[in-house]
Amino acid sequence: MRNQKEVSDMIRKLLGGLAAVLLLHTAAADTTTAADMAALDQRTQSLKQAVLDLNRELFILEEELLYPANTQVSVFVSMDVGEYFALDSVELTLDGKDVSNYLYTEREVDALYRGGVQQLYLGNLKVGEHELVAVLTGEGPHNRDYRRGASLSFEKSIGAKFVELRITDSEAKMQPEFVVREWE
Amino acid sequence: MRLTAFNRSAICRSVVALLACAAVSEALAGEPSGVVVRDPHYGEVLFHFYQDDHFTALSHLITARAQDRVPEHDLEAELLQGGLLLSWGQHVEAGKIFDRVLETAEDPSVRDRAWFYLGKVRYQRGYLVEAQQALENIAGELPDDLEAERYDLLARVYMDQGRFAAAVELLEGQRSPREWRGFARFNTGVALVRMGELQLGARLLEKVGTMRAPTEEQRALRDRANVALGFAYLQADLQGDARTVLQRVRLNGPFSNKALLGAGWADSAASDYTAALASWLELSRRDVLDSAVQESLLAVPYAFAQLGAEPQAADYYARALDVYGTEIGRLDAVIAEADSGQLLTTLLAADESAADGWAWELERLPEGERSRYLYFAVADHRFHEALKSYRELIALDTYLSNWRDKLSAYRDMVATREIAYAQRLPVLQDRVAEFDLPAMQAELTAIEAATAAARASRDVVAVAPAAEQKVWARLTALEKNPAFATPAAAEQRERQRILKGLAQWNMDKEFRLRVWQQERRNAELREVMKQAAARYAGVEAATASLDGTVAGFAARVDRLEREVEYRQQQLATAMRAHREHLNGLALDELNGQKQRLLTYRAQARFALASIYDRLAAQTD
Repeated sequence: MRNQKEVSDMIRKLLGGLAAVLLLHTAAADTTTAADMAALDQRTQSLKQAVLDLNRELFILEEELLYPANTQVSVFVSMDVGEYFALDSVELTLDGKDVSNYLYTEREVDALYRGGVQQLYLGNLKVGEHELVAVLTGEGPHNRDYRRGASLSFEKSIGAKFVELRITDSEAKMQPEFVVREWE
Repeated sequence: MRLTAFNRSAICRSVVALLACAAVSEALAGEPSGVVVRDPHYGEVLFHFYQDDHFTALSHLITARAQDRVPEHDLEAELLQGGLLLSWGQHVEAGKIFDRVLETAEDPSVRDRAWFYLGKVRYQRGYLVEAQQALENIAGELPDDLEAERYDLLARVYMDQGRFAAAVELLEGQRSPREWRGFARFNTGVALVRMGELQLGARLLEKVGTMRAPTEEQRALRDRANVALGFAYLQADLQGDARTVLQRVRLNGPFSNKALLGAGWADSAASDYTAALASWLELSRRDVLDSAVQESLLAVPYAFAQLGAEPQAADYYARALDVYGTEIGRLDAVIAEADSGQLLTTLLAADESAADGWAWELERLPEGERSRYLYFAVADHRFHEALKSYRELIALDTYLSNWRDKLSAYRDMVATREIAYAQRLPVLQDRVAEFDLPAMQAELTAIEAATAAARASRDVVAVAPAAEQKVWARLTALEKNPAFATPAAAEQRERQRILKGLAQWNMDKEFRLRVWQQERRNAELREVMKQAAARYAGVEAATASLDGTVAGFAARVDRLEREVEYRQQQLATAMRAHREHLNGLALDELNGQKQRLLTYRAQARFALASIYDRLAAQTD
């Protein structure tokens, strides 16, 4: 029969194992030392940074190759407040040609609502006059289906052109408003 | 294991909160940020950031900054990049950015946040004094979550410096909201107990263990603090205190197993084996994978034996041996799988979003009995972080593979352009070569000189139209004919004199107008010639640069393809190192579990043998 001291010893012994595993987790007898881990982390960090830098160069190459600055045109979608309109989709035509037909997820709409700006279209246009038409669908005031268009005629000159399709609220009309404008 | 309330996603949320100070966002609340995006490309980065697509956000931000496309958001962009890098484990680069922000930012709240992140970076890199200085440089109050983390960080710095009392005082005086305060106090309390500073640690754990806890997360934290403190008291032979603390733990909570085990040991230490048995019997009916349950299988027969019920004790020891044997067998199979490197593959295969290496949290283990043994390994902070890092490397490798495919397409595209230029360029160059611009310029210069000479010498003939010059030449040519000077030609001479006089009169009369017209034509011609020269130069440059642009793209594609390949090789090496590291951690954990079971089994065998010996002795 074990005595009280033995019980106490047994508790300590068992607690030693249990506490290490469950609660007061201390560094176990790792096969990998802290120094090894730090070295691995250091190497991983510099590799990740190198990949980020490489990624930047790849993005720049892609853009210069596919969308040279002289012909580049970008269409951005932004939202200011958005109380009166829940965006579902945007159809975009440039000079009568469909260039984008985009269906939004809830997450994307939320990102727009919080101040994000979506690059809806990136393409090329020749120098000269062009017309952009955007048709927006979604849910308007009183949960009604809403479909409205907005357009912009613009002059494409040498240099990239940025166009903004902006969804705003008209407090006076209690309606959404859609504005297409060249980004200043 | 540290509680990771301040994990990576929290860092990202903090970055948004950080930006709020720069009038960018209050995204924590999910409300519109009121941000005025002045550069579309900055808004585009936020679009990805708000969707938690942080890698895309970071990549686009770095690219946009390299292209000078976010000049209106310079400071916010810098801070966002720093925060994103930090959340991605890039402490070194993030630290450089926050250093730069502190050099330029004037807004005190921006500076405070930069000091905070810099303190965090320095702490993670082990620079305690510098981390302390950075954190103590914060003059104002940070947003709630950052404020709580600041206390936690500073307490950790003090602890690492051996200033335990200072850490406790700091956390006791903490003013941040309760939900954040608890984590810092728990972490520090546990750390103090581990360092043997029970009294100081107990002060903090007692606060957490008795706090009001309206949410499940806080109730779990409260339970955990009580279990930690209870076991700390048990280790210090303070059974009464242990019992009191462990009784606070909910019976249906995630820490109830450990609490039951501890409560049983507290009763047992007070020789109240009946009470101990009540806790342990309840525990022994639970999932045997839990080490507390495993231990209860040994504790129950021990209590029976203490109560003199040796036959029941023998039955329970025998049952424990069965369970331990089965568990050890299963663990051996899992250890063999880990040895072969298969375990990690299984673990990752269970997660469908393995390609998305960012902001990832392993929320569920793969189905199957074996994966259950990994629970404690995965719950370990080091394992979790290493697994996360490994997944990030996989994601980067997948990403670079996509770029390789694209680069291959771009190579074809550039080659096609090269062919097109090779066909068009000679035609263009031939056309350009047809124009001898220098000769034309020399001719114009001669005409201008002749006009100037005519004006100076009033050479009326020089500026006369060709028809008049022709008439004038014929009339003057007659004077050189010898027959024209004879008396017989007197009438012709008279007529020639009148006609010559008339021609002279006309040319004289028109001279000023004609000189002016000629000079105007010369000026117009000079302007046209200038434009022609510019166009000529432009065409020449264009033909040369077309060649150069295509060749430039080809060279860039070549270089980047090589670099992608090189980085993928490095990624493969790094992934291999991570796999080995993770396997090592998993094996440590699994071997630890096995070792514990072996110890329990040995004790059960020994106890069972002792009982049999005694029973046999009684029979004899």
